[in-house]
Amino acid sequence: MPLLQINDVVAGYGIGPDIITGLSLAVEADRSYCIIGPNGAGKSTLLKTVCGLVQARSGSVVFDGKPLSGLRTDEILRRGICYVPQDRSLFPDMTVRENLRMGGYILRDRHAVEKRIDEVMEMFPILKERRAQLAKTMSGGQQQMLLLGRALVLKPRIIMLDEPSLGLAPMVSHQIFESMNVLKKAGITIIVVEQNARIGLNFADWGCVLDLGKMVFEGPSQTVLDDPRIEELYLGRRRRRTGAGG
Amino acid sequence: MTHNIQILILGVTLGGVYALMASGLTLIFGVMGIVNLAHAAFMMIAAFIAYFAFQLFHLDPILSIVITMPVMFVVGIVVYRLLFARSVADTHKRGVLVLLTFALALTVEGTLGFLFSNIYRSTNPSYASKAILFGPYYLPEGQFYATLMSIALLVGLWAFLQYTRTGYAIRATMHNRTAAEVVGVNVDRISMFVFGIGMALAGASGSMLTFLFSFYPSKHWEFVAILLSLVVLGGMGSLLGALIGALLLSVIAAFVSAEFGPTWSPVTFYLALFVILLVRPQGLLGKRPEL
Repeated sequence: MPLLQINDVVAGYGIGPDIITGLSLAVEADRSYCIIGPNGAGKSTLLKTVCGLVQARSGSVVFDGKPLSGLRTDEILRRGICYVPQDRSLFPDMTVRENLRMGGYILRDRHAVEKRIDEVMEMFPILKERRAQLAKTMSGGQQQMLLLGRALVLKPRIIMLDEPSLGLAPMVSHQIFESMNVLKKAGITIIVVEQNARIGLNFADWGCVLDLGKMVFEGPSQTVLDDPRIEELYLGRRRRRTGAGG
Repeated sequence: MTHNIQILILGVTLGGVYALMASGLTLIFGVMGIVNLAHAAFMMIAAFIAYFAFQLFHLDPILSIVITMPVMFVVGIVVYRLLFARSVADTHKRGVLVLLTFALALTVEGTLGFLFSNIYRSTNPSYASKAILFGPYYLPEGQFYATLMSIALLVGLWAFLQYTRTGYAIRATMHNRTAAEVVGVNVDRISMFVFGIGMALAGASGSMLTFLFSFYPSKHWEFVAILLSLVVLGGMGSLLGALIGALLLSVIAAFVSAEFGPTWSPVTFYLALFVILLVRPQGLLGKRPEL
């Protein structure tokens, strides 16, 4: 049985149109996933629907055999799904350590949280080095690292990342993906939405291509990378004038 | 020199109370992004409670905060649930919510006016007309006690925000609402709680203004204008900013009043508002609006 099962989900914002228009995906615990697709394909909305920031209009999301529908973000977080939004959503005027402490907000046991923060700092030494620094004074790459660390405090089963490389220099992006490999090795299932399809698919085991709120294509990352349609549409190679066009 | 120090004393002792009044306003703005124009109108409700508690039961107006604060806290929770809960998460609706607070202010004013009429009232506990003398200076006792109580409440609020789990959650929501939600803060419940706290602070302010000013239901417009200028000077959403803004403007207004006469004192606040918005719109400690 998959760890996370997304069944024919339809979702959108407020009274606006459907952004996700009937999407299904089975997430296996021992794989990592990269979701790619053009702007407006519904990639971020999909992650937000899973973590409860957006309520599905129909369909269901089942995690570990239990439905998540109607649960708030904090309740879903408690079950073990952590979402990292794309807008560097840190607490800018709190220190690195305080930010990590907020990562363990839903835990009541303060000592356990502090202990866990120390463990996370061992995994990401840069955070230990900068523990007393205000989050806003760090570079983009370090902030992204802090977001990863903050997500790790809870030891979630799944971490969903929305464009972790956004606005970062290529070398820094690679560092971030290397850190994500650490999480992968720690047994956490990772779902990442990535504009830079190549780096994302090289990282993940499984690739999903979204367009207009639907799953167009999914498969092992290498297969997705090699698929001519994907190359044309999302990897920015020169389009050949054969076939049905765009 | 003596004269100037005396004015400074008067300005500072009133500033503490202004800071208390502004703290609730800036806290609610910080968490919900709404300028609550009804803040001072709610202070008036508390003022009437304190007034009648004093008239009927001789309850000291400063002590009456033990009634006004919890009562206004509950009022805040109810108002939030009924009027704001559904719209506050939607950033597009926040602009409209300011109009809602305006309507709320008018409603409260109208109701109070209907019930108690617009005559001038004030409480007169024994200390209201006394002064502490030291050397060549005097300290109006009422102002002094009110400011002491205000500072005590503000320190309590600060400690609560700084050291408790809920305080962390409130500050996190102020910094970044989405991030707070993502780490599992129930931002709806935090907003409701903060609205209650803000109203409780308005309640305490209302209790104490009864012996510092004479008040009537429509007096709140005067206060809300003053409070907005303090909060804008300090930086919207910043508690420390509200304190600094309150002390600064209160002292300046005291000097203006001494130099040009008391009628000019309120103008100080409006002029300050203009100048701040032109020169440093984010206020002293406010953040520059991000892209």
